[in-house]
Amino acid sequence: MKQMDVTVIGGGPAGLAAAISACKNGAATLLVEREARLGGILKQCIHDGFGVVRFGEKLSGPEYAERFIDELEKTDCEVRTLTFVTAVKQRAGGFEVHLVSRDGVETVFSKTLVLATGCRERTAKQVAIHGTRPAGVFTAGTAQHFTNLLGELPTRKCVILGSGDIGLIMARRLTLEGAAVVGVYEAKSTPSGLTRNIHQCLHDYDIPLYLSHTVTRVFGEDRLTAVEVSQVDEHMRPLPGTEEIIDCDALILSVGLIPENELAETLGVELSPATKGPVCDGQMMSMADGIFSCGNALHVNDLVDYVSESGEAAGKYAAIYTGGQRQLLDVACTNDFLYVVPQKLNLSADNSETAVYFRSREIVNDCRLVLQIDGREVFSKKYRFLRPPEMEKLTIDFSKYDLHPDSEICLRLEVARV
Amino acid sequence: MKELTCIVCPRGCTLCITGEGENLQVSGNACKRGEAFAMAEMLRPMRTICTTVRTVFPAAPVLPVRLSQEIPKDRIFDVMQEIKKITLDHAVGRGDVIIENVLGLAADVISESDLLRHIERRDEDGRCAGSDL
Amino acid sequence: MNRIERINQKLKKRFGDAVRCEEREGCRYMTGTLASWQDVVAACEMAADKYSRVHVVNDIQCREATPRPPRLPSLRDQALEGDTPDVLIVGGGISGVSIARELSKWKLNILLVEKEADLALQASGRNDGEVHPGIDLGKGSLKHYYIRRANAMYGRVCEELDVPFRRVGQYVCFEKGYLKPLVGLYCAWRKYHDGIEDTRLISKKELRMREPNFSEDFRFAISNPSSGCVCPYGLTIAYAENAVMNGARVSLNTAVLAMEVQNGEIVSVQTNRGTVYPRLVINAAGVFADDLAAMAGDRFFSIHPRRGTNSILDTKAGHLMHSIASIKEISLQKTHSKGGGILHTVHDNLLVGPDAVETWEKEDTATRRQSIETVFAKQKKTMPRLSQGDIITYFTGVRAPTFEEDFIIEPGRKTKNIIHCAGIQSPGLTTAPAVALDIEQMALAFLRQQKPVEKNEAYNPKRKGIPVLREMSDEKRSELIRQNPDYGVIVCRCEEISKGEILDALRSPIVVPTVDGIKKRVRPGMGRCQGGFCSPLVASIIAEEMDIPLSQVRKSSAESVVTYGKIGG
Repeated sequence: MKQMDVTVIGGGPAGLAAAISACKNGAATLLVEREARLGGILKQCIHDGFGVVRFGEKLSGPEYAERFIDELEKTDCEVRTLTFVTAVKQRAGGFEVHLVSRDGVETVFSKTLVLATGCRERTAKQVAIHGTRPAGVFTAGTAQHFTNLLGELPTRKCVILGSGDIGLIMARRLTLEGAAVVGVYEAKSTPSGLTRNIHQCLHDYDIPLYLSHTVTRVFGEDRLTAVEVSQVDEHMRPLPGTEEIIDCDALILSVGLIPENELAETLGVELSPATKGPVCDGQMMSMADGIFSCGNALHVNDLVDYVSESGEAAGKYAAIYTGGQRQLLDVACTNDFLYVVPQKLNLSADNSETAVYFRSREIVNDCRLVLQIDGREVFSKKYRFLRPPEMEKLTIDFSKYDLHPDSEICLRLEVARV
Repeated sequence: MKELTCIVCPRGCTLCITGEGENLQVSGNACKRGEAFAMAEMLRPMRTICTTVRTVFPAAPVLPVRLSQEIPKDRIFDVMQEIKKITLDHAVGRGDVIIENVLGLAADVISESDLLRHIERRDEDGRCAGSDL
Repeated sequence: MNRIERINQKLKKRFGDAVRCEEREGCRYMTGTLASWQDVVAACEMAADKYSRVHVVNDIQCREATPRPPRLPSLRDQALEGDTPDVLIVGGGISGVSIARELSKWKLNILLVEKEADLALQASGRNDGEVHPGIDLGKGSLKHYYIRRANAMYGRVCEELDVPFRRVGQYVCFEKGYLKPLVGLYCAWRKYHDGIEDTRLISKKELRMREPNFSEDFRFAISNPSSGCVCPYGLTIAYAENAVMNGARVSLNTAVLAMEVQNGEIVSVQTNRGTVYPRLVINAAGVFADDLAAMAGDRFFSIHPRRGTNSILDTKAGHLMHSIASIKEISLQKTHSKGGGILHTVHDNLLVGPDAVETWEKEDTATRRQSIETVFAKQKKTMPRLSQGDIITYFTGVRAPTFEEDFIIEPGRKTKNIIHCAGIQSPGLTTAPAVALDIEQMALAFLRQQKPVEKNEAYNPKRKGIPVLREMSDEKRSELIRQNPDYGVIVCRCEEISKGEILDALRSPIVVPTVDGIKKRVRPGMGRCQGGFCSPLVASIIAEEMDIPLSQVRKSSAESVVTYGKIGG
């Protein structure tokens, strides 16, 4: 059986960064990717805007991914593409990873695992769309695959449900290719995507955005012929009597992403209900020893730069992992946050440069984030605004706070009174 | 009067632009960059294009391309027409120029990816052509 | 006062002079005008005697019901023109294909036509796949006549056809402890009088031991271990493939448009692919069985469509229960079929439903939010941990009952060369193997009147399915991948389906080169991402294998365009 130090599952931006960093930290590393090419979803994200934080440049998805692929090729990392992990089994001192490829089934032993499995899109049925089952209901990612990888036009006239970034990007992309985008409908009262995308993808092309609206039904026996849209109340329930039928040939959904952690679940890795990703410590290690998580599998990111960053951290800590007992403390947060990652700190590890990622639950302006340890404020930072669609990152040196096994760490937000 | 949402930073100020021609006043901005953004948007909005060109390779029917620099917003569809004329019959690498100085706008259409090179390599390896599997 | 007078009296009391019932030639004809379809159904039900062979024929005009003509394939060609099958089977559901397979034991020219783009696209593909024990069936009905025999056949049939089948057992659960003596008597009656031999009453303790996630409020349950689950469309396709292997022909996208009947005999059958001249027609047309009977000049029953919606839950929820369960609530409301339940499928999903809603639309398979909510509200009583959050998809099917709520399995009454397999609703999937044997005999009896029928010496009852690599040991899997490396290329990540399996489906006895056709045969797109990742890949593989442009690949029907051709240009 082949012996590895680190096995990275997933060759998207998180996995690429993890594999590079694991190699750089001296680990015998295996990167497993089920598709024919590395790069993950970035292969089809041909729009620009990637890498502003990391490279100070606006790169396209393929460009961003290929920079990492080029770097990976300089390392000793063993790369398996068109290879699928069918099962991982916990063994003494590591994991048995079962791989399937054109070469057959192979079992590899690995001391640690980095799960960089990304996320999947929420489907029409998961947002309770009813009616017939015609062709022409696509998630934005599927429509993007058809357009940007296969060069096929998935629609001539469509409605987009959800104002997530991929949906907005696809609105522009399809318009450029000559399709009509009737409108983008968003059940929430605020857009889910970045303001930049609302501006450059919708406004530039006169595509209307309808907030507090949702698609309630699809029509068409063969190909989709129309959708029914309705206004929704504050609980996002459709309001009877507001239904409107819109003729179109496709419904494209950008209604959220779900971290893919089915493999993690088979290994008993604890998942956070808030992030749908593994609960992890400052070293990106999940609550299962030796299993690390990064990128969108850990929590859904809006900037790939942070995906790479978490991958790098996970790869590095997986490479230098030597086992041993962890002393875990909770990193609590108030209800002002949608979530904070990491959810735990390992007192036995170096926490002098801990990256903390968070999202606020609601839009807040002029607020102060406060880090409280044992009821005492030890750190604070002012924010002029926080928005749920925009993840924030902080680097905190926890080593200077004299943490002990009974310490209580809590993050909260103070909103300035007007 | 025109309203714009500022996209310089995630704060997203609502900018109000009044005035005529070159003589514009911007309000609602929280910083200087917002004003510059509003002026540029009103006077000479610039955009890039990210799209694909067709290829003759079955395993990669399209190649992602973009512009090397921004062009005036109102020329987007003109440039798209130029890009649609291309069918690549040879492998190019990332950053390679596919159309130089498109429509004299000082921007090149460049490849975003080494995809075609990758496919060439794979075909040499004897892997299945056709779909990306 | 005779029965008809009593019926008319009851009708008059409820509907005034709006409707009338008249008995002629062994049928009860309903005439008149009513506003709502619910009233039409109610009136016909008043006139119907359960399980009777005297059928209600509905001619009531309904202002609300504007039935749409059946959806017909757009295909028009002459592929079948002049064809002279011994047997023409109309309908590619479980009934039609099982009859085709049994008849293929004989040297007969068998042609099965199905108007949809694939088999099992109506009720046979839109049900829960339960192999019923018959606990709700009393003697006197055809349903009861077939159920035990058919249930017992399942192990062998599924083995022959290489289709997964599990006898997981069924529990009908009760919350009211005081009902136990009464239900005990009911069980004894079913067991000893009706022959449902495996019926047993089990205690709360035993139920909880077997299914710990069921409601704590259950006091006891009726247990029927002979109950099982099967993939209903998988079985339908397997039956059809075996029939084709043995010489039968299957023509998809082929609809019967009209028939020429002379002297009580079908002379020719007009389809969208030409006119066919069969010796015998078998009516397995599901919700359209009454329309087909009418075309054949043999109208003596009516179908009243009844919609049911099922939800499919993520395999992650599969561990919650491992059997088939429903809650029995004693209520005054009259309910039809089974009121829905929870079922652990052969693919380890949970299936929740169905409900039962009367409709005049025979092909209205659109889903509605209300159905899902009603079903979940009920089924959560059985298993409180059931969550709508685990739903990955839902679908609606339309049952095809008569007003007598029983099957019609008999030769034509006025037309000689037709055999009806009609009124098939639950437990029609279960009974199909046994019904097919009887119809085989009826068909032989008819055909032998004209000339002897020889055995098909080459008949092979065994069909080999497409290998399921995800279920194999690593050794077996490696061996197959060595023979065909495409088995090692995973296309559908959720269900772990390889390119090799997809290509096998594209080279199977009845090729349906559509995204849905592949999905039904080897399951890419059946998982939690619902084809989000794999549908472009599956479409590409179809295009490549069939040597067509991607824009020619369809989801299902000829009009279900997936993409509109190359971008740019």
